[in-house]
Amino acid sequence: MFRNGLLPSGMESMKLRVSPPVFKGRLHDARTATSIGRWLGAAFAVCFLTGLISHFMQHPPDWLANHIPSRPAWGYRVSQGLHVASGIAAIPLLLAKLWTVYPRLFEWPPVRSVRHALERLSVAVLVAGAGFELATGLLNTAQWYPWPFSFVPVHYAVAWLVVGALFLHIAVKAPEIRTHWSRRSPGTLALPSQDGPERRSLLTAVGAAVGAVTLTTVGQSFTPLKDLVLLAPRHPDHGPQALPVNRTAAAAGVGRIADEEYRLVVAGPRPYTLTLEELRALPQHEVDLPIACVEGWSKSAHWTGVRVVDLLERADAPAQARVRVVSLQLRGGYRVSEMGHEHARDPLTLLALRLNGEELAPDHGYPARLIAPNRPGVLQTKWVGRLEVLA
Amino acid sequence: MKVTRFLAGAGGLALMGVGVSLLMDVRDLTGVLVWLGGAVVLHDALIAPLVLLVGLLLVRGGVRAGLRGPVRGALVVAGALTVVALPVLLRPGPRANSSVLPLDYPRNWLIALVTVAMVTVLAMAVRRFARGRRPPS
Repeated sequence: MFRNGLLPSGMESMKLRVSPPVFKGRLHDARTATSIGRWLGAAFAVCFLTGLISHFMQHPPDWLANHIPSRPAWGYRVSQGLHVASGIAAIPLLLAKLWTVYPRLFEWPPVRSVRHALERLSVAVLVAGAGFELATGLLNTAQWYPWPFSFVPVHYAVAWLVVGALFLHIAVKAPEIRTHWSRRSPGTLALPSQDGPERRSLLTAVGAAVGAVTLTTVGQSFTPLKDLVLLAPRHPDHGPQALPVNRTAAAAGVGRIADEEYRLVVAGPRPYTLTLEELRALPQHEVDLPIACVEGWSKSAHWTGVRVVDLLERADAPAQARVRVVSLQLRGGYRVSEMGHEHARDPLTLLALRLNGEELAPDHGYPARLIAPNRPGVLQTKWVGRLEVLA
Repeated sequence: MKVTRFLAGAGGLALMGVGVSLLMDVRDLTGVLVWLGGAVVLHDALIAPLVLLVGLLLVRGGVRAGLRGPVRGALVVAGALTVVALPVLLRPGPRANSSVLPLDYPRNWLIALVTVAMVTVLAMAVRRFARGRRPPS
């Protein structure tokens, strides 16, 4: 019964023997890891840089607050669309990369030296952080928050941890990466040649997976592909006036604001108040600008309204002044937004009264909302009741 | 080269330091650590063994060697689509409004998987046809 040596005789049987699993499958090699790692590294680089852009646009430090450029008008739309798309593309890449190096988890002995221990620790941080960022980011796009902490500061902090661990990882693995960089690199040539076609088949599959997850989601911001949106949490055509919304009028506690009760207060060196009728009588301008949400969806729309710069000049606002935009909403965050002088003075920046030729729906900020170029959607304040010129 | 490598490593440590110092300001740090560790455990103890098991079944389960590539490809693509679809498929609770998660996601997920299967079968058929037409060398 015990012929197979499962229970050897004598003292040996008394010892608990733990041995690492043996991996007989192919392609758990440095060339496969390098090929996938190159793409994963690129995806993470794009994700990190666009994440930084988004962070500084929403939470600018004091030295930057008045210098955020208002052009290109499509800037934030492209950068945040790339942030979410590169994050989604990184999901199959990360899983494939981890599959490739999984046997390394069972290295024996687990720790050879202090240096080796530190190296493994840095990989653990990288794996933990990378999985954490992609998982929390993806869940956030679906507005699902099953964790106890606040998403934005933690997602931001862990991003630095991941990028740091990635730099460290690349530095540690540099010799291996170099010798496996291409198909003809010396390290690649030293691997069994029959693995070549197998590897190409696997890499094609991973590439196809990246393509599939991208095609089925990217239409939420890249509208030419909106008909392929199967799995994205938003569709550009779904929402009041065929434009998605985040906070509805009901959720903001404003409902439908009565025309005769509405007042716009412009507080500056020469303050004044306008009724809705007076606002509608001012010169109206038309612009095509996108709403680009931090969660990744975006859609361009045709807006009609009064130029903010016209309103500011009537109040004698200094050219370099920042402006605070205050909403009439009673509940929820982002009731107040601020913009630097470039946004305030940009002729595309409107206090919009109409959307695609119709009056704004209450959920889009009736009777008046801010729409400005190159600006995160949460800062395109709705139900605007007050513009304050800041010194 | 050595200098670049050293600078990259040192720079990496510095960036990690930035991350750690930012995390120190977070209120529920324990929750963050649980989720960070959870990501590793979830992958290493559940996802990876499951994928390896599927791979083993594929090899042992009699899928002919010539078909393994396309079948593996189909499983990789379908798996990736499923992982990306998990939040929209499983999110509990009411939506903020009707423009959040507006689509029939179970239906769309099935469409995506059926498309993957069809493309795979088509690719295999094209390949077999191309091979059949090739004159014996």
